[in-house]
Amino acid sequence: MDLHNLNPSSLKSRFTTRFLRALTEINARKPIASSSSPREIFQRYRRIKDAADTSMAYSVRSRRTWSKATLWRLRTPSHRRRLASFGRRSSLNKTRTTTTASHRGAVVVQITSRGGGLGVQLEELRELVPGGEAMDLCNLLDETAHYIKCLTTQVQVMRTIANLYSLE
Amino acid sequence: MQPCSREMQAMNSLLNPSQQIPLQDLQINGHHSQFDDPASSHDDFLEQMLSTTSFPVSSSSWSDLKSPWDPPKPEESDPCNLDNNAADGFHHEEILASKLRQQQHHINGGDGSNSFQAMKMMMMMQQQMMAAGRPTVSASGCGVGNHQGGGEGSMLALFNGFGDGSFHHPQASFGANSTTEINQSQGPTAVAPPQEKPKQKVRARRGQATDPHSIAERLRRVRIAERMKALQELVPNANKTDKASMLDEIVDYVKFLQLQVKVLSMSRLGGAAAVAPLVTVMPSEGGGDCIQTSANNGGSLPRSSNGNQKPPANDSLTATEHQVAKLMEEDMGTAMQYLQGKGLCLMPISLATAISTATSHSRNPMISNVNPNTGINGNGSHLLLQSSGGDGPSSPSMSVLTVQSATMGNGVVDGAASVSKP
Repeated sequence: MDLHNLNPSSLKSRFTTRFLRALTEINARKPIASSSSPREIFQRYRRIKDAADTSMAYSVRSRRTWSKATLWRLRTPSHRRRLASFGRRSSLNKTRTTTTASHRGAVVVQITSRGGGLGVQLEELRELVPGGEAMDLCNLLDETAHYIKCLTTQVQVMRTIANLYSLE
Repeated sequence: MQPCSREMQAMNSLLNPSQQIPLQDLQINGHHSQFDDPASSHDDFLEQMLSTTSFPVSSSSWSDLKSPWDPPKPEESDPCNLDNNAADGFHHEEILASKLRQQQHHINGGDGSNSFQAMKMMMMMQQQMMAAGRPTVSASGCGVGNHQGGGEGSMLALFNGFGDGSFHHPQASFGANSTTEINQSQGPTAVAPPQEKPKQKVRARRGQATDPHSIAERLRRVRIAERMKALQELVPNANKTDKASMLDEIVDYVKFLQLQVKVLSMSRLGGAAAVAPLVTVMPSEGGGDCIQTSANNGGSLPRSSNGNQKPPANDSLTATEHQVAKLMEEDMGTAMQYLQGKGLCLMPISLATAISTATSHSRNPMISNVNPNTGINGNGSHLLLQSSGGDGPSSPSMSVLTVQSATMGNGVVDGAASVSKP
């Protein structure tokens, strides 16, 4: 491992700074207790995950659709999100029927398939990539590539942090 | 003469709205003339022409050309009542020449209604003659001073030759059209087989469509293809050529990555609890990952630079062990959760020993306290619960502990339990 390739402004380092900052903040707010209930554990986990996603979305220098969508998801409460998503999706969709989004990750979609046999996978991809519901195939593939890149960075950093800290 | 014979019908069809077709027709002759340089033998070319005419479908333009020489209707019964398909080269010439002369007769003596079509036929035949490189025949046929130039020259000469009378208007317009269209039709657009119906369709060759819609379509397809290729490089196992399976792979990989993020954020619950020191440089098991943080993150926290990853003191691990044992007493569920929070998992001892021996060469071998269990009965059927997603290529650093369930000596717990950290 060489130290010469460290780029202080790379995606990885940006994400790392933000994420560590968020982690310390979470820690300061609610230090973990050994007898925390599962609910607390779950809450903490949610907070950490949201912090990770938010810091990743912020670290993206060029404004990408998925980053905006992630931030939007984490900010607006779900009821407002539902209303907004109706308007957004109906205006932008041409061939898809109504979609209802309950909360993050659980999207119930009724879709008319288009574009031959690729329809199913495409819709799945749209669900997975945040903000991918209202994009055509070309842009969707672009967003997916960038999203995958950022996700791998995120996973790498988180894993090293986890290894570092859990060895204490 | 009534244009009811088949050749006249053909001529009508050729004359009808899109005058492109006859010109493209002629262009075919022009094309053929391209590969027939004057030095080559004329017989070969004529035989080629004949062979093409003998094909039923290939180029029905030829069939149209052929039609004037098909076994004509009774009104056209003439000395040229011959079967062209069987004719050889010279015979073909004779037929052409005779037809020309015959048409000339018709034209010279004939009415204006027929004359244009006859002239068209003559022009076609003229063109063929030109392609065949028979200036003499054409000259003799039309009585016009033709030279073996391009098709345009001959056509204009033809027109000039027939200069007077009722030919002026159609001639002039046709002349203008012909030159321009011949100039244009030298382009790459292919020629549709002019069918024998009034509506002609021109279908461009593949990859050379000039329609803006298809161009846009093609651009879009190209862009999608290059994006797919870029994705292929990012996603592992991307040797699929099929688009659908490639999309499947992509979807699975995205799901996997998201799951990894979830799991990793879970595993940090216990780890980040104690302290969050700033790290400057840290070797990771991923082989080359570096974390560099800026210095402005709070001066209150101590700074520690870990040059290398030392195995921590074993007492923390034993403390974990005791903790887990205690939890196991009360409730398996919480014990599991505690382990999960620590980023640890349970696995049977046999597996653990196997893995530990296998990874004894790993970078951070932290094998401690591998003690055979005493007083534990039953099978080690605790299932491995990985709290951090698969590491992929990097070999995980394993620390294998065995929980001495001393407190469970009374046999409450079945199975060998060992705590290992993947």
